[in-house]
Amino acid sequence: MSFDLHRPATVTEAIDLAQRFAPTARYVAGGTDTVIQINRKKIDPAHLIDVACLPGLSEITETTDAFTLGALTKYRSVETHPAFRGDLRVLVEAASVVGGHQVRNIATIGGNIVNASPAADFVPPLLALDASLDITGPQGRRSVALRDFIVGPGRTNLSPAEIVTSIRFAKLPARSATAFLKEGRRRAMEISIVCVAACLTLEASTSRCASVRLAIGAASPTAFRPEQAEGYLIGKPAGKESFAEAGRLAAEACSPISDVRASAGYRRGLVAVMVERALTTCLQRIREQDQ
Amino acid sequence: MNRKILNIVVNGESHQVLIEPHWTLLQVLRNEIGMMGTKENCLEAECGVCTVLLDGKAINSCILLAAQVEGCSVTTIEGIGDPEHLHPLQEAFIECGAVQCGYCIPGMILTAKSFLDENPGCRPSRDEIREAIAGTLCRCTGYRKIIDAVATAADRIALSGAKQ
Amino acid sequence: MSAHTHRVAGHRLPRRDGVGKVTGKHVYAADFKLPGMLYGRVLRSTRAHALIKKIDTSRAAAMAGVRGIITSADIPQIRYGTAVRDTTVFATDRALFTGHAIAAVAATSLEIAERALAAIEVEYEDLPPLFDPEEALKSDIRIHPDWETYKALPIISRNRNIAGQARIRVGDAEAAFAKAHKVYEHRFSTALQHPGYTEPRVATADWDANGIVTVWCNTQLPFDTQTTLAEILDLPAARVRVTVPGIGGGFGGKLRIGVEHFAALLARKTARPVKVMSTSEEELTAALPRQASIVLLKTAVDKEGHLLARSGRIIVDCGAYAGSGPGTAAIALQVMAGPYKTGALAFESIAVYTNKVHSGSFRAPAGPMANFAMECQIDMIAKDLGLDPLEMRLRNVVKEGDPGPSGEIHRSVSIEECLRKAADAIGWHDRNPEPGRGKGIACSWWMTTGGSSGVYVKINPDGSATLVSGAVEIGTGAITGAAQVLAEELSLDLTDINVTGVDTQAAPFDFGAQGSRTTFSVGNACLAAASELRRQMFELAAKQLEAPIEDMKLQDKHVVAGNKSISIAELARISRLAGGGLIAHGTAISPAPAYDPTRVQNHPLPVWNTPSYHAHAVDLSVDQATGKVTINRYVVAQDVGYAINPTYIEGQIEGGVAQGIGQALSEEIVYQDGCVMNANLTDYKMPTAMDVPEIESIIVECRSAAGPYGAKGVGEPPCIEPPAAIGNAIAAATGCWPNSLPMTAEKIAAAMQVQHS
Repeated sequence: MSFDLHRPATVTEAIDLAQRFAPTARYVAGGTDTVIQINRKKIDPAHLIDVACLPGLSEITETTDAFTLGALTKYRSVETHPAFRGDLRVLVEAASVVGGHQVRNIATIGGNIVNASPAADFVPPLLALDASLDITGPQGRRSVALRDFIVGPGRTNLSPAEIVTSIRFAKLPARSATAFLKEGRRRAMEISIVCVAACLTLEASTSRCASVRLAIGAASPTAFRPEQAEGYLIGKPAGKESFAEAGRLAAEACSPISDVRASAGYRRGLVAVMVERALTTCLQRIREQDQ
Repeated sequence: MNRKILNIVVNGESHQVLIEPHWTLLQVLRNEIGMMGTKENCLEAECGVCTVLLDGKAINSCILLAAQVEGCSVTTIEGIGDPEHLHPLQEAFIECGAVQCGYCIPGMILTAKSFLDENPGCRPSRDEIREAIAGTLCRCTGYRKIIDAVATAADRIALSGAKQ
Repeated sequence: MSAHTHRVAGHRLPRRDGVGKVTGKHVYAADFKLPGMLYGRVLRSTRAHALIKKIDTSRAAAMAGVRGIITSADIPQIRYGTAVRDTTVFATDRALFTGHAIAAVAATSLEIAERALAAIEVEYEDLPPLFDPEEALKSDIRIHPDWETYKALPIISRNRNIAGQARIRVGDAEAAFAKAHKVYEHRFSTALQHPGYTEPRVATADWDANGIVTVWCNTQLPFDTQTTLAEILDLPAARVRVTVPGIGGGFGGKLRIGVEHFAALLARKTARPVKVMSTSEEELTAALPRQASIVLLKTAVDKEGHLLARSGRIIVDCGAYAGSGPGTAAIALQVMAGPYKTGALAFESIAVYTNKVHSGSFRAPAGPMANFAMECQIDMIAKDLGLDPLEMRLRNVVKEGDPGPSGEIHRSVSIEECLRKAADAIGWHDRNPEPGRGKGIACSWWMTTGGSSGVYVKINPDGSATLVSGAVEIGTGAITGAAQVLAEELSLDLTDINVTGVDTQAAPFDFGAQGSRTTFSVGNACLAAASELRRQMFELAAKQLEAPIEDMKLQDKHVVAGNKSISIAELARISRLAGGGLIAHGTAISPAPAYDPTRVQNHPLPVWNTPSYHAHAVDLSVDQATGKVTINRYVVAQDVGYAINPTYIEGQIEGGVAQGIGQALSEEIVYQDGCVMNANLTDYKMPTAMDVPEIESIIVECRSAAGPYGAKGVGEPPCIEPPAAIGNAIAAATGCWPNSLPMTAEKIAAAMQVQHS
């Protein structure tokens, strides 16, 4: 446990430092995960590049058709943001169950994504919103869909020295709603046994599903979208029966592990129940909007 | 050793401390500045006894690298009141019987203060208080009297704010 | 003095140490430091059961900043322990569990000490391990091959891997089973539970020029720690001084020596002060948790649900050393008898060694485990007989004058009142308000632990009093309670009582902050000291006022005789000039009640002192798909005898129930192949503020003969009933009992699935 900490003033400087000290360099933002991993001797970087204070990366901005979250946006900022109280409630619901207030006041959503933990709570909601990431690196800027970004437990498609600068997702069409559910042994301070995010859009004048995006965390090596379950629902009447079937299909698609928190079998069962419930919550929310 | 100077304001006083890059804010507060009211336990942001305010917001000082808070302002329990001038939260914790062993209490009070300061003058519900303090474990009290204390203090702070 | 005229006792006064604690000024043992202090760390075994072939410390010793390393070879070969003297400071020739101390290092910084640990080379040769306590009973493997050579309390019955075995036998259980209407047999299991104090165990030790070692630590039992340290260091006790600056919770987990011996030995080796603090990982792998247990319980009833006989066995998994296991297991027998009249009893307790962490005396040792089995079975029987569980209990509870399991007589009995009050408060008449929701009830009794207390009290020239006690204020408010008794008796205000810190060199003996006894016993000692001070003050006042002693009383900080009076402050000043000051020593011991020794065999606590009675009722919902439990309401009716400070009694109830909820639903130290799988607070799940409902306390006051103003012990009982009450409510909501703690959502879901299929 011996490293240098660098405090670049700009993204370019940060990338330069990362290149200079590769492969023993690592970015750190809120540090809520990095410092624990260092203390547990899971990682041993020689150079930490502090990106927490980089300017302009903590803003939540709204355009006519999209939202952009700076990668350094804190959970607590998401949680308390007025724009996310309506159809984007999935963001508030997920942000508000990460650690305690103390963690949410400093931990960044970019950090959570880059960690690529299978149980990261903020990844499923962003998957359900089909979010993309803006990345800056030595070769310039690029964008990548979040679903293509996380490639395995703790692994992403970031190239060395690349840095995620923001997360973008489109606003939802009319008659859409989202929901996030999490199960753990306690009601707070939990690493998810399973978490589920759902985003449902109904057809303009029917109760059929026009678009469905589901995302499941902690039930596979990475958070994932159960495409069969999503596809099954398109054009189906939204309701108990179709949601239950979607839950069943999602449970089939996951590949959970057994660990000290829960068995694989229990996790699989939860996926079925929680997918159904998350969709039901979405439906209720759309009906509330309709009224 | 690659020690560096850290400039930090703690409870309104400026400090220059020679630190090592891996030292946490908790270590600096306890070992270098002597703010022993900031407690030490799990060192993994699970228990909350190390909570301090960083630029007004509650954070776990046990997993924050001190080098990252260069130029920031930190408030510890010693900075919000003293025995002769108790903060309304400190007063309410005593009055409501919210203190037992007391080891979690500095962190608990600062967690509550950060939450109450988010919306000045607010009178949060008991459930909102419960949610706000969930990141700070108390093994003695079962939390009921802590929630009483935060609610009592919030009422008083709101009232005195309204008067001003 | 009649209780309702009390000015100080019985009132909700703020604790004496509150201001220091809310301002961060209260110094805890973890905050304590000395100039030039070194930091100690302990190397722990990575094997569950292994011969230690070689320990090579040379590389570590050569590291810059390392000031001293000790292993078993460097220290006196002493075995210590409460019931069985089986424990050593370090693993000797063999490691007995993963986490067993192998060596300790003192260095100029924690980081260096940690690096030095990594540089110590240990060569192991694995031995076949024993993890399952039932297997350990049958196995030929000996965890302590030399067990016969160990000293033990004469009462303890041992045999091979059995560290203690006790029995309670009343009447002819076999005959009762033979002619019963119905007989029920069930098996229950409970998990290892960490006490969860927020301040880790910590000690700083320093040796002075006279060869006296002072240890600043957070023990609950400074005098026991002093005695044990003296044994380990091979010194007379007078050369060991234990002092407790402040303590961040204990709950029984800080009764026995934790890290004090490492600090003292390293300080002796290095001639420097040394501080040793447990890490979270050490807390969860090598502290003194509540034992895991297995309870087999058999009960015979008649048609009306009267208990005819109960027999059974509790197996308490002590881990690698007996610790408090033999006593804990034995106490379970009284808990299994419960506050019930039962025709015949045949209970056996077995404390057994395994290759796991040695365990301790977490709050109400054995209480929750035995009560979980005993009270869940009552509900199972009631359900089978078609009886209301409350009614079944009321038919069987003891009444004033009934004999207890040891043949003692139940006095100031309140169990029926507690049950009725808890049931009324939870709305018992409507037990299944909706599908998936249920209410449960459970009751118990518990002792007020004996042991003696001494206090010194002196009156200061400003009229205030200083209370010197050897009992540690571990957070309960117990010492504030004792100070209230003292203030009451001396006509002072609570704020007039100054309480000193605990120091074995200066304070009179106290049996310690354990066993729900502190306010009770220290309060009684305060009564005695106050009485002596009154005598001294009245004698002095007699000369000053020229009034007869018989006419005197204390009133509003004055000695009053008719229309004459003199202030206590004035008397203290006069006494200073001529009499050496007003000072008194008060002592208290609560003798054990008479009992029938033929009923109780090999039991270190054969009869309970001043028992209390209590009932818990809970209303909860179970998610029918996930098994997740939501506690809607939780009510406790607890007989405290006399409530010296209702606020802190509620605090004990609310906090104890929260720990019980943790044990019931979420907490367990999980072992797999001898390794702890969740040695951190991420996965050791203590309840957060979101997990504990607003506990409702009903304080019942049925005065005891022995406690101050009729008080009974308060602190331990609240954590006894939660697992049973919650288990019974889960059963009311789902139709099935999980029978195994913690009752996780996963276990409940599995039980519901079995039931449906």
